[in-house]
Amino acid sequence: MTIRIVVVDDHPIVRQGLKTLLEGHSGWQVVGEASDGAEAVEKAKDLTPDVMVLDVTMPRMNGLEACRLLRRQSPDLEILFVTQHDSPQMMREALEAGARGYVVKSNAARDLLAAVEAVSEHRVFTALNEQQSYRQVR
Amino acid sequence: MKLRILLADDHEIVRKGLRALLEKHEGWEVCGEASDGREAVEKALQLNPDVVIVDIGMPNLNGLDTTRQLLQHDPHFKVIVLTITDSDQVIREALDAGARGFVLKSDAARDLVSAVEALQNKRMFFTPRVNDLVLAGFLEKGQTVSRNEAPKLPTLTAREREITQLLAEGNSSKEVASLLNLSTKTVETHRSNIMRKLSFHSIRDLVVYAIKNNLIQIELPPPPKTPTGPTAA
Repeated sequence: MTIRIVVVDDHPIVRQGLKTLLEGHSGWQVVGEASDGAEAVEKAKDLTPDVMVLDVTMPRMNGLEACRLLRRQSPDLEILFVTQHDSPQMMREALEAGARGYVVKSNAARDLLAAVEAVSEHRVFTALNEQQSYRQVR
Repeated sequence: MKLRILLADDHEIVRKGLRALLEKHEGWEVCGEASDGREAVEKALQLNPDVVIVDIGMPNLNGLDTTRQLLQHDPHFKVIVLTITDSDQVIREALDAGARGFVLKSDAARDLVSAVEALQNKRMFFTPRVNDLVLAGFLEKGQTVSRNEAPKLPTLTAREREITQLLAEGNSSKEVASLLNLSTKTVETHRSNIMRKLSFHSIRDLVVYAIKNNLIQIELPPPPKTPTGPTAA
């Protein structure tokens, strides 16, 4: 299945790592990148991706604010957070903001592909370090 | 012959990004990766790379102490430090530890190739802010660069710093002992010495010290959402 993805993180080196990992999956395509929340909102409008991989802490507009705007602007877009914050509270905020997935950056190499697959099928995927198991909810 | 580079960062996704960036450069290869400072030291001794790139904020052994340990083993190691902050204190510590390159993580895509090239040509690479600080220090003829520097606490030994980091990361004395191949009793003795030297009475004090002294780094969450509507009187 072809999935069109936009990667959003203020560190180009992290975007490069995410891109390398995602494009290793057959049929998935990183169609754009953004370095903050405001740019992410613009890119979602211009590129109409299926999935947006979004960092929380970014300059100008953080990921949570961007997520709330994206939810209203692009209702078909699925949002997956990949963040440093290994915190149930932050995860709850992200889901409340309208994200479908939440992955901790330190585990991204392990969890990202399964998470993108899940959210692209409109399923919830969350994985914190403290959790021993993953949640995938239909 | 290829230039061999060892990468040390606790985030695999960052290592992937760094590897993709560096391996685009003809004649360079990433000969190994490490996910913490201790593994970086082991791999460096095993692989003898030409350049070691270390993140400062790594678990178990941070990048500054990794640099110190590497250069203690072999002063010919060429280390580039990657950091999320270029505060005066971090810069000074990186220079003191013997790093030959200092690159901000946010600028790594732009600066890292230049930094490795500089080291390959037996030069050093620092961000403009480091250069300013070094120059300021030179002009002040070795006087303290930062005028707002906090009063210095007694110096910890390398082993005490390692143990402080591990305790501040939430490990028990028993876990620290297992990680460092020491007896729990030895770790307890180090722990008492650390607390006595720093006049600390709780693990909380130790955590604050570890953060302030860059033994561990934390990323703060974004500020809570501010209400946008009118507030009730």
